[in-house]
Order: sequence, then structure tokens, then C-alpha cells
Amino acid sequence: MSSIGTGYDLSVTTFSPDGRVFQIEYAAKAVDNSGTVIGIKCKDGIVLGVEKLISSKMMLPGSNRRIHAVHHHSGMAVAGLAADGRQIVARAKAEATNYESTYGEPIPVKELAERVASYVHLCTLYWWLRPFGCGVILGGYDRDGPQLYMIEPSGVSYRYFGAAIGKGRQAAKTEIEKLSLSGMTCRQGVVEVAKIIYGIHDEAKDKAFELEMSWVCDESNRQHQKVPDELLEEAKAAARAALEEMDAD
Amino acid sequence: MFRNQYDTDVTTWSPAGRLFQVEYAMEAVKQGSAAIGLRSKTHVVLASVNKANNELSSHQKKIFKVDDHIGVAIAGLTADGRVLSRYMRSECINYSYLYESPLPIGRLVVQLADKAQVCTQRSWKRPYGVGLLVGGLDESGAHLYYNCPSGNYFEYQAFAIGSRSQAAKTYLERKFGNFMESSRENLLKDALFALRETLQGEKLTSSNCTVAVVGVGKGEEFQILDKETVQALINEFEIAGEEAPAAADAEDAAPEQGGATEQGATDQGPGNEGAAPMDI
Repeated sequence: MSSIGTGYDLSVTTFSPDGRVFQIEYAAKAVDNSGTVIGIKCKDGIVLGVEKLISSKMMLPGSNRRIHAVHHHSGMAVAGLAADGRQIVARAKAEATNYESTYGEPIPVKELAERVASYVHLCTLYWWLRPFGCGVILGGYDRDGPQLYMIEPSGVSYRYFGAAIGKGRQAAKTEIEKLSLSGMTCRQGVVEVAKIIYGIHDEAKDKAFELEMSWVCDESNRQHQKVPDELLEEAKAAARAALEEMDAD
Repeated sequence: MFRNQYDTDVTTWSPAGRLFQVEYAMEAVKQGSAAIGLRSKTHVVLASVNKANNELSSHQKKIFKVDDHIGVAIAGLTADGRVLSRYMRSECINYSYLYESPLPIGRLVVQLADKAQVCTQRSWKRPYGVGLLVGGLDESGAHLYYNCPSGNYFEYQAFAIGSRSQAAKTYLERKFGNFMESSRENLLKDALFALRETLQGEKLTSSNCTVAVVGVGKGEEFQILDKETVQALINEFEIAGEEAPAAADAEDAAPEQGGATEQGATDQGPGNEGAAPMDI
């Protein structure tokens, strides 16, 4: 890399001569090495899915969740450093409760995404801080319907129909593009996301993983909830079956 | 012996997206003497190896009572461990004053992890150089967590940290499937067996280990077992191990070093390219 050894990449408050801030790019690298996180917007809601890598078999299943609730109507999936992610979730929760106590209604997802993005961006402005080593996918449901945002370590936030971050994001994005999202219910979306995550996971190379999923949709009463166990099991079974079919070809 | 220009500051990312200062802090955990923890449905056992720096000195305390229902075993910088256990104690006492009920373990662990995370993002701070095995009971049962300097935390059935902990981990990995149904006695037995694995031939006695246990019900509050009880347990299980070689005293500090380098080879040390940066 041309950036190394030039001295322009040691601080987040240093621009390189060609106008880049390398520290932010390096922080984004931490996200690129993590387990894949996917979010899609279906016709009736949002589905979030995480490929949570397991580092030890003595670790308990279901612990260290990477999907967090932010408010009744919104949730967040974290890729990258889980510890940094908790900090962002804490801020998002605070913003959401603060908005509701001021204006008497749940925070619009757009506003929430903007406020969280400003917070993430703040950490790229001072030499005594470092940018967050995580990206988040934020899903929520408000009066404008279901919405999906992705916020990166640089502090940018875009609205998406389907988003993916982490190690397998390229492959995941290609798969998401093949789906007809606008005609799909979340119930179908859950199965598709499970298939994608199982598909991009390389069993020979990667560590073991656990599939973690949540949704905000009409079926969940427009509340952010864990995908019901029986549906999750069904999705996993479908994903495994799809994999075997692919191997058979 | 510095590795590169990216490893002197917590707020500097390396080009590969790693935080070396945090990884070095996690290295400090591996240098400390071993601590292990294991849990059943009803009990949590914490145990640690005691190492005196000097023949004339006593050893550092490595297991702390936080509250009646929570205890912690540490490996790494003991001074940092004491600061954190004092924090945990005050969180517990404030919670029980406010809500008149004991603080759930999961909540305490998140607060502790958030506290550790802040130290990885401020240029004027350093990460804590200590790993904590937090064990305790609450209304949802027995829990064992591992908190590390990166601000990550993990819930385990059984785990070991510190120097030569890999040996104990191997032992625990072989046995942990049955721990959920274990009795208090069997859990203690497995704790002592695992602890012996980290000693590598040195004799396990009541003076070089500490054992603590917490269980459900009255009279089973967190307690550090006294020397006599531990010795009785060791005798009962006949796990004294082989007699340490006579030369062991002379090279008291040396095995510690040896253990650390050996770990570097098996665990994912900072030198290991492509290692996931903050996984444990």
C-alpha cells in the first residue's frame, strides 16, 4: 500500500496529499474482516441477518448477540468490533428515548439514522479519538413504512433496499440483487437471507457460525423482534437444503 | 523491539484494520498466572493459580468476592483487576440499594465491558491489562462470563485464561458437555484437575491455588474456600501430581516466560497474520 510509511496515515485528523483520510479507511478494514451482516427491505418490513462467528465451542449458543433492539420499532445489526457496536447502540437508544420524551412519538427512522451517523462521524474529527471499527445496519418501521439504513465508520449513512457488510458482502450483494424484494413478504425474506448467509459461509475455511435474525414487519406488529424460533429453524433447514442441492449440481 | 509505527497508540488503526495496543493488552492477560471458571446448572466454580514473585513474599490475590451472588477471578495486571472489582462491588451495592434485589450478572458484565471499551478509544487512556472471569447466580441461573481488555465479553460453560491456560482449555473442552448436570463436588474436582494441567508437573497444593464457589440456595453464597478445605479436596481427589523437580525454585520466573512464548504459537497472537483482530 502506498499509504504506509508516508506518515499521513497515523492520525484521523491528517489528510493525505490526495485528499484521503487513511485512518478511516483502516477502520473500515476491521469491518471488512468480520462476519457478514445482511439487511433487506421487503414489502411489509425489514429483515436483518447476521453470520455470527463462534470462536470457541465452550461458548454458549445465543450469547453475544450482534442484533440489538434500539426502540420498539427499530433494531440494529453490528459488523466489526462488537464492543464498539455496543457504544453506538447505546447512543441510538438514548437518541430514540430522548426524541420520544420531547416530541411524544417514536423517532422516525430517518432521523434516528441521521443522529447515529453524526455520532459515528464525530469520532472521525478529533485526534484524541479513533473512528469506530464497526458498521451498522439499522432497520425500522414508522409512519413512512419500513426503512433500512447502513452507517459506515466514516459516518456516512445511506438508505437501501438491501445492504450487506462484512467479509462476504460482495457475494451477498450479488445474491440480494437477484431477489425481487418489492414483491416479497418478510416471511419469505427470512428464508432468503438465511440461504444467502449459509451460501457465503465457507465451511472449510471459516470458523463455525450461528445464524442470528430479527425483523420489523406487519407480522411482528411493526415491532423489532427476534424471528420466531420455528421460522428460524425452517429457514435454516431450507438454507441447508439449498446448499446440498447446489453441491449436487 | 517495536513491531511497526501503528502500535504505540490506542487510537491508531493499522492498515489491516487492527488495534495493536488492544492486542498487546490482551497479551498481558496471557502473561498472568492462570485462572479458570466452570459452571453447572446450580453452581459456578472459580479457581486460580497463585504465584509468589519471591520466596519471602506472599502471592497476589486473584479471586475477589463482588457480592453475595457474584465473584471474579482475574489474570493479567492484578492492579487493574482490583480497580475493576471495586467498580463491580459498588455497582452491585448501588443496585441493591436502589432496587432491593441483586444485580443480574448479564447487566454487570455489559457495564464492565462498556467501561473497558472506552479505554480503547481515548488517546489519553490505555486498555485494561486484565482478563476477568465473572461467575455468579441470578434469577436466570448460573452464569460464567469472560471479559477481556478489548471490551468484548463472552458467556461460557467453562473457560481458562492466563499462562498455559491452553492445557486447561483442552481438558475443559473434553469434559464440558457434562458440566450442566454436575454436582458441586464434581465441578470442584474438574476445576482442580483443569488447574493442575496449567502447572505442568509442578505440584498442586492448597498454597499455590485458590478456589471459590457460589451456588443456589441459602448458605451457598459466594465464598473463597479456606486452605484446609482446598487441601482436603486435593487429597480426596488425589491429584497432587508429580513432585516438582528440585531445581524449580531456582528458575521460578523462567517457566512463566516459557509459558507465554508457547502460547503465542498456539493462540492467535498479534504476530499471526490475518487473525481476526478482536476475537478474544
